[in-house]
Amino acid sequence: MTPKPLPSLITVIDIGTQKTVALVGQVIDGKARMLGFSERRTDGVVKGTVTDLDKLHAGVHEVINDLERVSQRPVHYVYLSIAGPAVDGERVKGFIPVPAHDGKVTKQDLDEAIRSAKRVEPPAGRLIMLYMRQPTLLDGKQVANPVGLQGRRLEVNFWRTTMEEGNVRFRVSMMNAMSVNVSEFILASHASGCAVVSESEKQGGVLVIDVGAGTTDWILYFKGHILCAGSIPVGGEHLTNDLSVALRISRETAEDLKIRFASALHRESDLNQTIWKDGDKSVGDQQFNRGTITQVSSLRYQEIIDFVRKDVLRHFEQIFPGHSVKLDQAFLPSGVVLTGGTANLQDAADGAQLVFGVTSRVGIPSFETDALRKPEYSGVIGMMVAAIQDAPPVLRRPKSLWDNVKELFRL
Amino acid sequence: MSSTASILLVGLGGAGCSMVARLAPSLPPQVRAVFLDSDLNALPNSVTGEYLQLGRSLTRGMGTGGESALGLAAVESEEPALRRLFTGVPIVVLVTGLGGGLGSGAAPALATIATEAGSTVLAFATIPFSHEGERRKRLASDALEKLSAKAHGLVVVQNDLLSLQVSADASLAEAFAAADDWVAGALRALASIFEAGALVPVDPAALRSILAQPGSPTLFTSGKAQGPQAALLAAKAATESALAHGPDVITKVASLFVHVAGGPSLSATDAFEAVNIIRAKFGGETTTIVGARIKPELGDGVEVAVIGASAPAPKAPKTRKTAKAGDPNQALFGFATEESLRRGIFGSAPFTFVDGVDIDVPTYIRRSIRLSPPK
Repeated sequence: MTPKPLPSLITVIDIGTQKTVALVGQVIDGKARMLGFSERRTDGVVKGTVTDLDKLHAGVHEVINDLERVSQRPVHYVYLSIAGPAVDGERVKGFIPVPAHDGKVTKQDLDEAIRSAKRVEPPAGRLIMLYMRQPTLLDGKQVANPVGLQGRRLEVNFWRTTMEEGNVRFRVSMMNAMSVNVSEFILASHASGCAVVSESEKQGGVLVIDVGAGTTDWILYFKGHILCAGSIPVGGEHLTNDLSVALRISRETAEDLKIRFASALHRESDLNQTIWKDGDKSVGDQQFNRGTITQVSSLRYQEIIDFVRKDVLRHFEQIFPGHSVKLDQAFLPSGVVLTGGTANLQDAADGAQLVFGVTSRVGIPSFETDALRKPEYSGVIGMMVAAIQDAPPVLRRPKSLWDNVKELFRL
Repeated sequence: MSSTASILLVGLGGAGCSMVARLAPSLPPQVRAVFLDSDLNALPNSVTGEYLQLGRSLTRGMGTGGESALGLAAVESEEPALRRLFTGVPIVVLVTGLGGGLGSGAAPALATIATEAGSTVLAFATIPFSHEGERRKRLASDALEKLSAKAHGLVVVQNDLLSLQVSADASLAEAFAAADDWVAGALRALASIFEAGALVPVDPAALRSILAQPGSPTLFTSGKAQGPQAALLAAKAATESALAHGPDVITKVASLFVHVAGGPSLSATDAFEAVNIIRAKFGGETTTIVGARIKPELGDGVEVAVIGASAPAPKAPKTRKTAKAGDPNQALFGFATEESLRRGIFGSAPFTFVDGVDIDVPTYIRRSIRLSPPK
């Protein structure tokens, strides 16, 4: 598979539950120079599920207008992120016995194994979005490139991401309605991973958790490959919700208090602190106990992280049937990396460490602009990184999918 | 006057008469048709039936011109004749189009006269299309309120709803004709219930028992189907009919009357299967009366007709209108339930279950953790 020449202009759009963020960059020598950035509130998405098409459409249109205005260039192609409960993933494998003439694996053998892996039918009503390369095994041993090596049985593995057909159809037609083509879908959690962890961390083993507003997407890298990925429909909005229920305050006030006072950990000393909603001695200001806030927020946050832990273990049962693989420091030498808007929560890393029992840190994307060096932008920056790489482990979208999409829209 | 007639089918006003006229040739002997209108020229001349001209001295044989007061006066002027007409008739089916002068003005008065004469009154009223203008709509809704208090049963047929069944580019005339056809079809189903030779005969008194009290919200729907499993499909068609999906139509009733008619191949199992579908949808917990008949001309087709009613709901006290009715920007308010309070900002969002638990509910509530009091 030869990488096709990259278009010099790359536009990536990350549609989140709360915000739609987009970047347009010019690629020179494999590096992107940022030409434009846009961020707008997303309307019409609840917990990662689209509930109001018109509102969402209008919002994305605004973002594209922003990009065209700022970059002074028309947007024709975009990379779209996919995340949330509509996205699902599974491992598919293909294996062939190596023909016995000289016992050496040829390029044709490898291609045949890959073909057999990709022949696995997706579940009904779902489209295959991406294949991500997982370890290739020759006689059960992991090899980087099996071609030319001796062996009897060749096994190739892919992490395959599928999405509900209607969801894909909707996204493509929404962009097409703005005269914009979707050049590729990028798995949001993988994008975040590209932005906040290094290749060496991926080699060792690392779990990236992107806690967004409406959904929490996670991805686990092991020996440099994607081992598995998933999503749960809980996020920062649930922290806001819990605070608004517990303190009987509006959503806006709850959001504000969450940003200023909430924490992933609840400490006894928090109970001694009294905080003011506005703090400017204005009439109608309200007083709250900080302990209540941290208690509510830490319970929810740690539960979200625990949902992720359980989800990862559920995937392990599928990948390593019969083995009880522990999520410990030995398995994850680089620990847990938290990113996404909710990673801004005070003590977010410590809270995750408490749940997982492995070293945790908050991942901040490396980027030239200070304003974007925040966990909430790791998704969109990572999409740019992934779009430039556009090579394994994210393979080009297989032709079969494109044919499927073509068929869908009768292009 | 034939004394065997147990049902009097009354067409009131232009719209009512034209609907009854469609039916008149195919009515069973137990059903007698009567046409009441003020405009002599508008009375259909091709059909047989009894005619009574209302308000001759008031309108000089012309229409009421949309004046409901005139319609009311027209009925009052003929009260003795009307009273004679209704006396001794157990069931009066009053068919009218609300929104015009006679229908809106006279229907409630007519229902009162019939009720006082000892008849059970089932009224069929069509509500004008919205493109017929605001005035007719208002007239209709005022009349509807009065009529529902007087008639034992009131079936409201929204023309707008029926027009959804015809294609979007149908002409106005086609839309009217379709609406009339619909009501006529429903009435035919109603009339056929009382034809002789039923497999499970139905006494008109059964219908009376269901529509015992004036002002009860009434459900009427019918459905037809052909071919194998026709009984099931006809029952489904009845539950999905536009008649059963109006904005004010009740969907759960205490008493239910189900009539199944089919060709010679209709089996008892099929008929009761159909009744079960109807019951599952509409209730009928208190009473369910079932009628069935074989009509050879139906072939492998089946027709299902349903009438249902509940005891009238206690009248809600009249509230002052704070927002203009029909204002599209008017916010809808629901009462906060315990569930929606627990779900907070996700109140109306789809539930998310993880391991059988709704995870939108705050963690501390689900784990019943008492929030620590401040020190």
